[in-house]
Amino acid sequence: MKFYEESDLPIYIQVAEWLENEILRGQFGPDDKIYSQYQLADLFTINPATAGKGLSILFENDILYKKRGLGMFVTPHARSVILSKRKNEKLTLLVNGIVDEAERLEVPFDELIDMLNRAKMKNIGERQE
Amino acid sequence: MIECKKLSKKYRSHSALSNLNCIIRENTITGVIGRNGAGKTTFMKLIAGYLKKTSGELRVMEENPFTSLKVSANSIFIDDQMSLPTSLTLRELLNSFARFYPNWNEPLAKELMTYFQLPQKAYVQNLSKGMRSTFHAIIGFAARCPLTIYDEPTTGMDAAVRKDFYRALLKDYLAYPRTILLSSHHLEEIENLLEDVLIIHNQNAFMHLSVSELKESVVAVKGDKAAVSEFTSMHNKLSINEVVPGMAMAIVQVNNYIRRENFPKLTFSNLTANEAFIYLTDSQEGGIDRVFERSELD
Repeated sequence: MKFYEESDLPIYIQVAEWLENEILRGQFGPDDKIYSQYQLADLFTINPATAGKGLSILFENDILYKKRGLGMFVTPHARSVILSKRKNEKLTLLVNGIVDEAERLEVPFDELIDMLNRAKMKNIGERQE
Repeated sequence: MIECKKLSKKYRSHSALSNLNCIIRENTITGVIGRNGAGKTTFMKLIAGYLKKTSGELRVMEENPFTSLKVSANSIFIDDQMSLPTSLTLRELLNSFARFYPNWNEPLAKELMTYFQLPQKAYVQNLSKGMRSTFHAIIGFAARCPLTIYDEPTTGMDAAVRKDFYRALLKDYLAYPRTILLSSHHLEEIENLLEDVLIIHNQNAFMHLSVSELKESVVAVKGDKAAVSEFTSMHNKLSINEVVPGMAMAIVQVNNYIRRENFPKLTFSNLTANEAFIYLTDSQEGGIDRVFERSELD
């Protein structure tokens, strides 16, 4: 199964991102046991080795730690690691993309800032409704 | 689990496999992928001990499968034409498999027969193509053999049954890990189940790698014709065409990671595993279109 239909990322990266999202939305807190590779394989009908690869990315990034024989657990600082990583990677990439596109469309920088502000106001408005 | 060195098989003068080398690890699910006539079935039948090799080395569970009782008792080969006796009902057939295979999982066989609505008293020759394949698949699951080989197991199955089959295959593998070889023409349907892909091409093991490595080994590049040509000259070009005058798109095999930011003039996009496979094994430059172009010239 594909988590995001449009995504052409390798499945193991999609698994890692999905788990990160689960941690971000509070489904797993510090020192909680995360899904095993077999549970993930069953959940998404994927090979357990692929699921294991997704878990080991998170282990390498200090988002998960191992307890021998018990499985993988969320590190106390997992949330902040994910947030700063996303900020550095994904958000930077998106911002670069926006600036590039604005230049292509000859949108002045001030107008781009206005657009960002409007998007922000729209979100605040929706939250108040 | 399986080791091949320079494995070759000839049918009279016709060569079906030549000098194939590969190692398949225990308890992995490997997809055996290849174009029609590439040698997939021959390869899998050699491993199951159905065929005798012409030359080279082949070890399955440390033994020569063609003469090994151990391999025979611990492996099962499932395809759409298994020659089963026509005088026995499905139930009687299952009973005889149960007697032969020590790990036979009777409760699972029973549940699957009910789920897929296969009548116990029917005969194989009266089943539709899809139901027959389903029955064979059930035998494959229930036999719980350390080496389970499925050659095009989904022939004739409708989309819903295929989906159930893949899910059942995975669930059963999670419960009872074993070595599984699975061939299919629909890589996109099975890629997520696989740990590795073995691509057989021109009677040989062309590539043996993980699905994500297969995807990453081929990229599509688009952009200014000169820039694309410059890029393709550094890599193995699989296909190139001019989309509109001055703009080209190429499919390229890459050996190591491409830093895309180093090529600001080019747009890169990934291919699906299936597309990557098709481009890698396309021996005819220009594909089917070229055939028509040539025939029109005559």
